[in-house]
Amino acid sequence: MKETTEQMSRGRGRRTRWIKPSVVGLLCAFTAWHILATFLWIAPPSAIRQVVPGNLLSTYMLPMFGQSWSVFAPVPINGDHKLEVRATLGTGKSARTTEWIDATRAEFSMLQRHLFPPRAAIMASQTATEVKQSWEKLSEEQKKVAALGFYSNSDWESRLKAGLGIRPNLTKTSAARYAKADHVATAYATQVAYAMWGDEVSAVQFRVTRQNVVPFKDRDVPGVEPPAPQIVPTGWRGTIEEPGQSRSQFRETFRRAVWESGQ
Amino acid sequence: MTGRVRYALGTWTGGAWEVLRSTVGASGKFAYGWLTESKHALYGLAVGRVLLGVTGLGLLLTNFSTMYYFAGSGSAWNGEGVEPISSFPKIWIFSLFRAAAFNDFAFTALYIALAALAVLVIVGFKSRIVIPVYFVGWVSFIELNDAVGDQGDNMYRIVLLTMIFADTSARWSVDAWIRANRPDSRLNFDVIRKLVPEWASATVNNLALVSIACHVCFVYASGALFKAGGEPWRTGYAIYSPLKTLRFGVFPELSDLVLASAPLVAAICWSTIILQMVFPVALLNRFSRIIALVGITGFHIGIAVLMGLPWFSMAMIAIDTIFIRDVTWQAIGELFRRGVQAGRDSSPELRKASSARPLPAVHGAAAPFAKKPREDAVKGARV
Repeated sequence: MKETTEQMSRGRGRRTRWIKPSVVGLLCAFTAWHILATFLWIAPPSAIRQVVPGNLLSTYMLPMFGQSWSVFAPVPINGDHKLEVRATLGTGKSARTTEWIDATRAEFSMLQRHLFPPRAAIMASQTATEVKQSWEKLSEEQKKVAALGFYSNSDWESRLKAGLGIRPNLTKTSAARYAKADHVATAYATQVAYAMWGDEVSAVQFRVTRQNVVPFKDRDVPGVEPPAPQIVPTGWRGTIEEPGQSRSQFRETFRRAVWESGQ
Repeated sequence: MTGRVRYALGTWTGGAWEVLRSTVGASGKFAYGWLTESKHALYGLAVGRVLLGVTGLGLLLTNFSTMYYFAGSGSAWNGEGVEPISSFPKIWIFSLFRAAAFNDFAFTALYIALAALAVLVIVGFKSRIVIPVYFVGWVSFIELNDAVGDQGDNMYRIVLLTMIFADTSARWSVDAWIRANRPDSRLNFDVIRKLVPEWASATVNNLALVSIACHVCFVYASGALFKAGGEPWRTGYAIYSPLKTLRFGVFPELSDLVLASAPLVAAICWSTIILQMVFPVALLNRFSRIIALVGITGFHIGIAVLMGLPWFSMAMIAIDTIFIRDVTWQAIGELFRRGVQAGRDSSPELRKASSARPLPAVHGAAAPFAKKPREDAVKGARV
């Protein structure tokens, strides 16, 4: 009887002896795959990526392990994007146009000479960057359309999209990307306008400019001027307000920033 | 003759096979033991946990006064509420902040709760439970506004996820303090220890460590490759342009100071590339490891201050702490403890207070230190 118990426990030991190496092996195999996938994803694209079949790599990596490390490389950023806003107040005969306000400069007052700048400081800058980059991809014809004013009646945005040649089933085109950037910048400009000039705002215009720095080789040239700013010509737009938007929460931070920036 | 050659060849190949077999066997055995027998870099992981917590808390605090403007009801204009750019807010487990973003009260409450969790991460309270919850909350929060994020957000998310699998509160934590000083406390429980055998949690801890180490090495080395492909880096002036912009030249006077000397600018550019490229190999040897870690930390401090990216830099520094050996961290901890002790001894009022009531150890590492004579810990200091 005793012998049988011993035999049984020995048998169980033999059976369970394999659990630990198998578990360790599986864990190692998974980690090895994860490390390989991470390597292939982070490294500059190369033919080594072909060792992973199909789109398995991006299926595994996205969204959780999404990342890109070509930061400030190969060519680091050499300019600033500026976003300025003005508005039309009132309608008809009493309509009047405001001065331009530099939203980027206002927000940058939270960033310049601050050791811990808040993310609020780069909202205008990022919005302007996307407008400029998406506008670059437009055809000359489309750029002309973007420069026109679209603000009368509530269907102005669909007329803008039609003018850019956007069809509802094509959402990945450069025109669609621009239209999205134009939409976001208009919604931002609308909030800026409400914050600065109150609820009378009937139309807004944003102006995006890219100002490059003096090239490195010219930095010591006496009296050197920075390169001419690159302007994205965009026309007047109707106002856009997204659901959930709080004008007062926007106003509070934005107006303080404007004041800090000395405008 | 031929027979002899064949015999010699046979012996040789047989010998080589034997050497290969035993080498592979020995390294396999070593790797198996390294993985399963004990948890490695527990101090480095603990310091990493503290610094990642500080990074999160710091980001939350420095964005507190403008939180509605950048991610709450003041920011609805960016359209993220209608259609998020990031895919995380659309995944239900990470959708909490999105659901509350435009309700100022709920958003504020979640924001403060997340900051409180970050504090718990820093002090290492019930880390096995707190870190996963904090991770979910953090991703849900930081992905609210994708447009103003940076690569630091990705690094932070991935490393925090990996750290869930590591034992980050084994040292220098409230968890460790409770374990050592209040073994009977109701708070002295460890879900993982109860459910999983020690070898399994050790293996997972060590594999998480390997994974983070590889990840960081890939990030630096590929960063170097991307940079080396660009003319401004190759010809040594790349840091000039961003430091001259308003966006990344946060302290113009400091930027001008750094940029005043063209040879210095070129030296910074090249050493950045070289340091990033050699980082993985430099880790292998103690001497080069010190150079690599000091160098890369300096590089991150430069980015933090000059370019206005403090939390990105701090996350990277936090992750690099895993490369510093336990004995070094122990020595640093000991120096810190002695410093505090000396300060306490020199102040008569504090001395009175401490004699009246035995103060708990300054940090949770009281137990591990007690096992070793102090001098040994200091003598054994090596990076």
